[in-house]
Amino acid sequence: MRPLSLGARLSLLFAACSAAVSLLAGALFNQASEAHFAELDYQQLQGELTVLRNLLDGVADGADLPGRLPAVQEELALHPELALRIAGSDGLVWFDSRPERRDPAAYRSLEASLEPRRANGARLTLHLNIAHHRHFLDDMQRLIWLGVGLSALATALLGAWGVRRSLRPLRQMGEVAAGISASSLTTRLEEARQPAELAELAQAFNAMLARLEDAFARLSAFSGDIAHELRTPLSNLLTQTQVILARPRALEDYRETLHSNLEELQRLAQMVADMLLLAKADHGLLLPSREPLELGVELDALLDYFAPLAEDAEVRLERRGEARLAADRGMLRRALSNLLDNALRFTPAGGTIRLEVTSTADCLRLEVGNSGPAIPAEQLPKLFDRFYRADPARREGRGEHAGLGLALIRSIVRAHGGEIRCESVEGWTRFILEFPA
Amino acid sequence: MKLLIVEDEPKTGHSLQQGLGEAGFAVELAADGTTGERLALEGDHDLLILDVMLPGRDGWQILHSLRQAGRDMPVLFLTARDAVEDRVHGLELGADDYLVKPFAFAELLARVRTLLRRGQTTAAETFLQAADLELDLLRRRVRRGGRRIDLTPQEFALLELLLRRRGEVLPKSLIAAEVWDMHFDSGTNVVEVAIRRLRTKIDDDFAPPLIHTVRGLGYVLEVRAAP
Repeated sequence: MRPLSLGARLSLLFAACSAAVSLLAGALFNQASEAHFAELDYQQLQGELTVLRNLLDGVADGADLPGRLPAVQEELALHPELALRIAGSDGLVWFDSRPERRDPAAYRSLEASLEPRRANGARLTLHLNIAHHRHFLDDMQRLIWLGVGLSALATALLGAWGVRRSLRPLRQMGEVAAGISASSLTTRLEEARQPAELAELAQAFNAMLARLEDAFARLSAFSGDIAHELRTPLSNLLTQTQVILARPRALEDYRETLHSNLEELQRLAQMVADMLLLAKADHGLLLPSREPLELGVELDALLDYFAPLAEDAEVRLERRGEARLAADRGMLRRALSNLLDNALRFTPAGGTIRLEVTSTADCLRLEVGNSGPAIPAEQLPKLFDRFYRADPARREGRGEHAGLGLALIRSIVRAHGGEIRCESVEGWTRFILEFPA
Repeated sequence: MKLLIVEDEPKTGHSLQQGLGEAGFAVELAADGTTGERLALEGDHDLLILDVMLPGRDGWQILHSLRQAGRDMPVLFLTARDAVEDRVHGLELGADDYLVKPFAFAELLARVRTLLRRGQTTAAETFLQAADLELDLLRRRVRRGGRRIDLTPQEFALLELLLRRRGEVLPKSLIAAEVWDMHFDSGTNVVEVAIRRLRTKIDDDFAPPLIHTVRGLGYVLEVRAAP
């Protein structure tokens, strides 16, 4: 079942609170009034008792009474709310001013001996009609209940209004979120205008939008780049093939064209394979099978592989340090071989490429450094972007990875829980791979 | 050697048939899974090339019924996805190798030859020879025309590979995998450079040249008739 709305819940809570408070106040007031009336009544009865005792002073038995009755009647006439009964010590009623009465609840009674000092003599019973007090109290109770009801209703309404008002920012967030599409990812909530409780949510919401915007921008750029990267070789292939087919040619020309096409096709195939690998990494499907690797041995194998190339380029290859790392051998080799290939491309003759392994208690650090011109600082963060090339004019060139190489390396490193960054200062550029130990 | 290709994409199928045919194999082609399975069960092929996604019976099912029927010829899978599950599934069912599309034909040819060779028990060769080039595997020595040639361990391994598979065009990726254990297309020209350096040592001062570049495909060591 759907839970009650926040507004309804809070309104009910407020109403219940205010009803309880006003009910308690009413009950206390009611009780105090009743006590107060009882006190007043008692005083009146006591006063009357004194007056009547005086009027009846000296009456010893029923026979004495008639002589005093006129004065008593007179006194009673002054106080229509009062009824008197006089009874002898034997229980015989001598006088009763209003024998027809008796809703006992409507009267307050006081019974006392006629003579203060003779407790077993004739007895006076005074009945004070307190119906007007009762009415007053009844009215008051009605008022109290009305007050309880009204205050509950008022607080409920006020609460509902307040909640609705306080939750308006949330509704706005909802509206903003509902209105967001791929083309309006720049929308943001005004964090400054949010109440303190919602500021954090607004911040998180904005941060999410920023991430989405960034990811989406990258994705759009990536698709655009893919199209561009594919278009170039495809247009080469189309043009060459159509031109060569336009008229009969020497066998050698066909062969030449096919070779050229083959190269383009190989580049395309490589690009598709790289992009698939990246897509796999994006979906968290790049799962390295980890085995303990002696990095010293691994790095030496790589240096062996690159030795002929380095010798040709007159670049010295070095390795320092060793450590053990649980990693996927194939992937690690691929990543490092891409890095070495890059390094070789940018190291001038006579330069050095150095692989360095250092490990601390919680981190294993692998550096691939090379001498050569520094990479401008503003390019460093973009190096790992897909299709990023430091020199935009160089779209073709030797890079068989079409600007995907470093993005691939980063995906591989991240699949191993590590991170990669690049530092470049004063003729020494190094790619630093850090893996948690 | 008789091969059976089961591939539903006609262009790929015919190219493979032509290429493998020209490489000296007798090649049969089936364009759907049901026909492929029947031919595989009836025939006496030495090797099967199976596409995974096929109309009728898919590659896994064909492999399964083959192995159930007790046929143990090597099977090479072609797949359009290099999903890990596919790989694991294939290996569990007893596939011998697999290639992800798009692949280079030279790579396929090299793998086919490797698979076919796997079954044969070759006497451990200790001495390889082509023309006047001699490779002594025990003493790790190379001579050409009677002259001793010094090679680095890598160059020796490379020459040994070329000699063992002389006459076969070896793609760069296969060479990188066999000699340096680099099982990926690194896109570097390490192999080119290594071949060039080996050539300067064994071919430059001698005739005829033995190591040849087959453009776009790879390298081959063979004795070619002088032009």
